[in-house]
Amino acid sequence: MSETPIIQIRNLSKFYDDKQVLKDLSIDIFPGQVIGYIGPNGAGKSTTVKILTGLIPDFKGEVVIDGMNLADNPLEIKKLMGYVPENAELYDVLTPLEYLDFIGKLYGMADPVLHDRIVKLLTAFGLDKNINDRMDTFSKGMKQKVLLIAGIINNPKIIVLDEPLSGLDANAVILVKELIIRLSKEGKTIFYCSHMMDVVEKVSDRILLINKGEIIADGTFESLKQNHADTLEHIFSKLTGREDSGIETDAIINAFD
Amino acid sequence: MDKMLLKFISFFYPVLEKAGVNTAQLNEILRVKLLMDIRRPKSAFANRRAKTTKKPKAANTSTSSIRGDIGLVIIGCLASVLLFLFKMPMVGQIAYFSMFMILLALTLVSDFTTVLIDTRDQFIIIPRPVDDRTLALSRFMHITIYITRVALLQGLPGMIMIGFVDGILAVPLFFIQIIEATLLCVLLINVLYFILMRSTSAQRFKDVISYFQIAISIIIFAVYYLVPRLINISVLRHTNILAYKWVYVLPPVWIASVNEVLLHASRANMLIVFSAALGLILPIIGVWFVAKVLAPGFNRKLAMVATSDGSSNSIANTKKQYKTDFRDKLANLLAPDPIENAGFKITWKLAARTREFKMKTFPAFAYVPIYFIYFAFNNAGQTLSEKYEQVQKGAGYIFLIYLTTIVLSSVLQNVSNSGKYKSAWVYYALPIDTPGKILAGMYKAIIVLYFLPYCLVVSIVTVCIWGPLTINDLILAFSVCTMYGMFMALFMVKGLPFSQPVIVKARGRMVISLLILGLMVGVGFGHSFLRNWETLIWLLIIPFLLGNWLMFHHYKKQSWDDVEAAAADI
Repeated sequence: MSETPIIQIRNLSKFYDDKQVLKDLSIDIFPGQVIGYIGPNGAGKSTTVKILTGLIPDFKGEVVIDGMNLADNPLEIKKLMGYVPENAELYDVLTPLEYLDFIGKLYGMADPVLHDRIVKLLTAFGLDKNINDRMDTFSKGMKQKVLLIAGIINNPKIIVLDEPLSGLDANAVILVKELIIRLSKEGKTIFYCSHMMDVVEKVSDRILLINKGEIIADGTFESLKQNHADTLEHIFSKLTGREDSGIETDAIINAFD
Repeated sequence: MDKMLLKFISFFYPVLEKAGVNTAQLNEILRVKLLMDIRRPKSAFANRRAKTTKKPKAANTSTSSIRGDIGLVIIGCLASVLLFLFKMPMVGQIAYFSMFMILLALTLVSDFTTVLIDTRDQFIIIPRPVDDRTLALSRFMHITIYITRVALLQGLPGMIMIGFVDGILAVPLFFIQIIEATLLCVLLINVLYFILMRSTSAQRFKDVISYFQIAISIIIFAVYYLVPRLINISVLRHTNILAYKWVYVLPPVWIASVNEVLLHASRANMLIVFSAALGLILPIIGVWFVAKVLAPGFNRKLAMVATSDGSSNSIANTKKQYKTDFRDKLANLLAPDPIENAGFKITWKLAARTREFKMKTFPAFAYVPIYFIYFAFNNAGQTLSEKYEQVQKGAGYIFLIYLTTIVLSSVLQNVSNSGKYKSAWVYYALPIDTPGKILAGMYKAIIVLYFLPYCLVVSIVTVCIWGPLTINDLILAFSVCTMYGMFMALFMVKGLPFSQPVIVKARGRMVISLLILGLMVGVGFGHSFLRNWETLIWLLIIPFLLGNWLMFHHYKKQSWDDVEAAAADI
């Protein structure tokens, strides 16, 4: 692991009106790490991601990415990043070729290289037959593949994935999981947000658990296991304050009486 | 045409680059946005016209966009008639530009919501290395191109006409006037949106815009039908609105003054010169104002709309306990069967909350009085009060009551359509033996929520104008109207509430609907013929109510086969 972190987050806070959703977050992330970022709904996960990707420009604290301050240099930082958003938003009246061409051009990529790369990526993801179909006819999984390609089209140093497996079939899930490991071997830093504990457990080499705007666990899966419980699921429910699941299920079963 | 426009814009790229704009990105964003505009079905006028003439609209994108273009030119032709109509040429121009600006503003209000408030940009463009200036400019230029297209198509006929009215020199000047008027429209719309975004929450914003659209479409409809009835054209010809000093605050007057000052300097006084100067300068200041002041705030606000999680609201809501309100009591009273009860409540709540449904049905409520006045005040050559007396003596009220079927049919035709029709899977997944029960609940909800309150209002108005002797007529007419609704429901509406995509209805339905309508017109005439035999009218109410009841029972028994057959028809 190299010495200087690629992402440094210092005392990051964010308020929505009066409600504080991030409380003095400080994280160092090193190149080549796959970060599994987990936490219950409303814990501040999406907010962190949106700040990192530049969707939310106003926040308190300091975010330094690859030696540049996010507040001063958002454009240069965006060039290093790839982002797969959680809500599958894309311009679906376009074809995947047109859409990816658009995204690539926004990154300043030139045509022969870009076009070539798009076709190769679409083929690799099994979308070569649909290259000229409009995406409004696509299934959720197909759209998700296009979003994944859009997230790596510029060969970014840092890739932020927010629930990237939603809608994908089993084979595609395997492909993406393998891809994450390969990309990290290539030195990419991956910030992986998900609710699917079993996947996070397998792909991440460091897990960050956020609850109520604070990081409450940080370490490899192995180290978390030693301190807390045997599966990530159990660690998660224990740390986020839901220790005895029996009570809730009892209440559910009793509702039928 | 879009390629030409892009080429044209590219002439400015060197200048823009110096101002710090990434022109490659700008070009790319504009190209994609324009491409998407062509592929997206047009919304504004195409739909509205299709609705009022009750003609189904083809979903084909390219033809609908061409049809939209032709529609704009036709509207432009109609507006250009105003240039001839008035004795004073400047008044004609004022009328023309008023019409031009209102129509343009209308198109813009409805299209801005889809074009400008594209929250997807938030996730697609913002995470890419595009700076704020380029993004803001791309948005502004996209809108400008869009508007230029609409304005030119709409202004083209006027530009030709003015050549005949005012000589060849007026043509190029008219072109400039159109541009100025367009810029002013953009400014006005931007200010309007800005105020709305400031004063209402983001969620309610689109609601407010849609109510605004409904209101404007009703106004246009009313003006089109009623102004010729209530105002004498030959008097209008000689009106000189310039005699009133307050008209000089109206933007169309400034635009019209430009022509007056430059081509007929001898006729112009100081006030006109001043307003012409306003007309030339203000739009340009307006553009600057929009670009510098309004647009950045817009983007920030949009960012907030798209990125807020809405989680902050949920805390307050969790404390609210669900209370049974009068709607639930009403539902339990009118639709005691559980499935029927579900149909009743779901229809009631979705109808009251679905924006697109309200957009389509609410104008019908206003059409009833407008049509009534249009037909009732048909006699020419009298003063208004004479016309009113004439109406009061006649049997127009029967016509008025029967007109309420417009409301009923408009609601019934739209109740099974929805943009989010896929949520209706629940009906098919749950163990419902006879979907007719849901339909029955739906029908009851429509009657109780929309038809009865409206009837009550109409009844009160009728009794006030024509006296209490009309009560039996009212009851009879309304039972006939519900019977018409029942016919409509039986033969036309077999879709479960909000369960079908909004698409073209089959032609065969038109015939049935005309047959039903013809039958009702026949009954209506029969009614107006018999209206003086009061006891007979009272007696007639009984068989019609009975008919209603029988038909409703039949409707309630609709099976899945009936519903699916009807769905396959569509």
